[in-house]
Amino acid sequence: MTAQPHRRPRQVSRFALAKGFVTVVISTIVLIGLCLTFAPSSVAAGALAGSLPFAAILMIVGLGQMLVVQQGGFDLSVAGGVSLSVVLATHYPSGDDAQLLPAVLIAYTCAVAAGVVNGLLVGFVRLNAIVATIGMNALIYGVVFAVSGGVPRITTDLLAQVAGGESFGVGNAVWFAIAILAVTVFAMKKTIWGRRFEAIGANPLAAAAIGLNVRRHQMMAYVLAQLFYCSAGLLIAGITTQPTAFQGDSLLLPSVAVVVLGGTSLLGGRGFPISTAIAALFLNQLSQFAFAVGVPYSAQTIIQALALGLGIGIYSIHMPSFFGKINKLSNREEEDDAILS
Amino acid sequence: MMLSYLKGSIAITASLLALSCGAALAETPSWCGPNEASLALLDGFGGNSWRLVTTASGAAEAALCPSITDYQYADGQGNTQKAISDIKSFAAKGTSAIVVFGDAGPAVLPALKAAFAAGSVVVPYRVDVGGEAGKDYTKFIGSSFKDDGVSWGNWIKGILPDGGNVLFLSGPAGNSQGLDELAGMKTVLDDKYKFINPEPFDVTNWDPSLTQQVLSAEIAKNEKIDVIVSDFGPSLVGALPVFKKFNRSIPAIATSDGNSLGCFWTDNVKDNPDFKLFTVATGNDNVRLAEQWAVASATGGTLPTEEIFKAPVFEDSVSGKQSAVQCRADLPGSIYLSAVMPGDDQAKAVTK
Repeated sequence: MTAQPHRRPRQVSRFALAKGFVTVVISTIVLIGLCLTFAPSSVAAGALAGSLPFAAILMIVGLGQMLVVQQGGFDLSVAGGVSLSVVLATHYPSGDDAQLLPAVLIAYTCAVAAGVVNGLLVGFVRLNAIVATIGMNALIYGVVFAVSGGVPRITTDLLAQVAGGESFGVGNAVWFAIAILAVTVFAMKKTIWGRRFEAIGANPLAAAAIGLNVRRHQMMAYVLAQLFYCSAGLLIAGITTQPTAFQGDSLLLPSVAVVVLGGTSLLGGRGFPISTAIAALFLNQLSQFAFAVGVPYSAQTIIQALALGLGIGIYSIHMPSFFGKINKLSNREEEDDAILS
Repeated sequence: MMLSYLKGSIAITASLLALSCGAALAETPSWCGPNEASLALLDGFGGNSWRLVTTASGAAEAALCPSITDYQYADGQGNTQKAISDIKSFAAKGTSAIVVFGDAGPAVLPALKAAFAAGSVVVPYRVDVGGEAGKDYTKFIGSSFKDDGVSWGNWIKGILPDGGNVLFLSGPAGNSQGLDELAGMKTVLDDKYKFINPEPFDVTNWDPSLTQQVLSAEIAKNEKIDVIVSDFGPSLVGALPVFKKFNRSIPAIATSDGNSLGCFWTDNVKDNPDFKLFTVATGNDNVRLAEQWAVASATGGTLPTEEIFKAPVFEDSVSGKQSAVQCRADLPGSIYLSAVMPGDDQAKAVTK
């Protein structure tokens, strides 16, 4: 009797890891197979060189969102966070390379400030994460308007070289994303702080009971997430020569999508950074596939939505409990039959 | 003695006044009538450099007419409800003439109708808001996007007389501007010219990052792109270097102008032998014609003869007939040298 409750959660978590990683990897391989068969141009070297930087940006934003989701939260201030760093990195220097470093520092300072406020509201004031971050998003957009008047400005040459350039045949943005992914994986899986962070996400009450500082860790999730968004915004500012002031808007939904596709539970707990990164590649390649096949725009959005729905559907059916329920039902029917006979 | 002195000074003052009035009258355009009026320019969305230059052009045009006693501007910030409430509140204030960029289309028509019924001169421009001139509003000053398409088509015919592959990029799915431009091109280009984009155009939302993704997918897919047509030239600048990744020359481009695009052409034409550029004016001066109509109706001036703003051909790197490609590297990339307003003044407007 005492052994059972111990065993069950371990089985579930092992299964979740396998399912999250395996599903996203298989889906990506299948997609690449489809691309090779039906739209070989979408996996040509030039096409990948054009699209991978955008996958890298989605990857970074997705990792930020993952940290928040791990703590059972949601960060809807993605759009504002990304747009603000785009605007600060283009408006403040206004084409002057010498002003770029101060602009980047200002952007990161603003990101920390936004993250701290989000974290205080959710972690300490105990506001609902959706409400707090949607309010913060509006506030950040206020700053975006104050800085830019909503008007884009052309990026500096230096930023275009650093973020939009190439090293070893691959866009620098991709290298940045890989570095950020490596640091995240190491910090999450190999440091005491990371293990605590996951434990708190899985069960805040238990974590509090063993003396971990739940609120501080929850706040840190929002701060780190904003730092990730800020980095993604800086890359966008470099990659697109004349970015709009609302460049983050189109990243909100995909940021949540890659987290879910990567297998991180929306209820919090264990994070899957590598799966999240692969999911970002998957989503990006899916849209490239749709472009390459040349389907109408309406069909492109439907294909993406369907893929997302299927992805989420796979996780929402929890296999062991699903089969457990079926077994229970059939057992009950047998018992009923026995009683009746 | 005193009296004669007074008479003399009055005479001098009168003649000076007459002279100055004469000078002022000579500068006053015919559309500016004698009756005093207030004017408001209401934007549905003011958040890009094109709108800033347009807004500055609108203010400059209004300043030409001394009968305009009060000039106001409001930005709907892309929010249809704010745009509607702006129109209503300016009508309620008794503004004599209202010029509206109705980004939300027919959604703002009821507000325009109400303002017109309340006695204001109402001139929507550029975006079709539905309704009927004279009944729902004073006059609609559209822009002939179809003519842009015809201009592009003629140029494409000139550089590719034997036909070729055309890639057409426009803004959001189904936007009427893109459809009109396509209709214009199709009046000139026959079946020899193959549109290789999905019907009716590749959707870019006029967003530079989406444009970049769409264009790299199209370049990978199509080995032969002879000409790219886009109705927002500057958004191509970030995407065109993708051709280099495929070791291909940037092809000919027919589009609308922008300083960043002109400078990009100047910098890259040497390495890209096929890179020819043709632009029509982006149309910042559409607002000037709309204001002329509004002011003429409100102040009793002469109505302009033009009813539709026709964007003139601006740059042509092949013939150089209209104008060679222009680049002012000393000014921001986000200005439009095709506009009447001088580049330096535009720079002030977009960097303030």
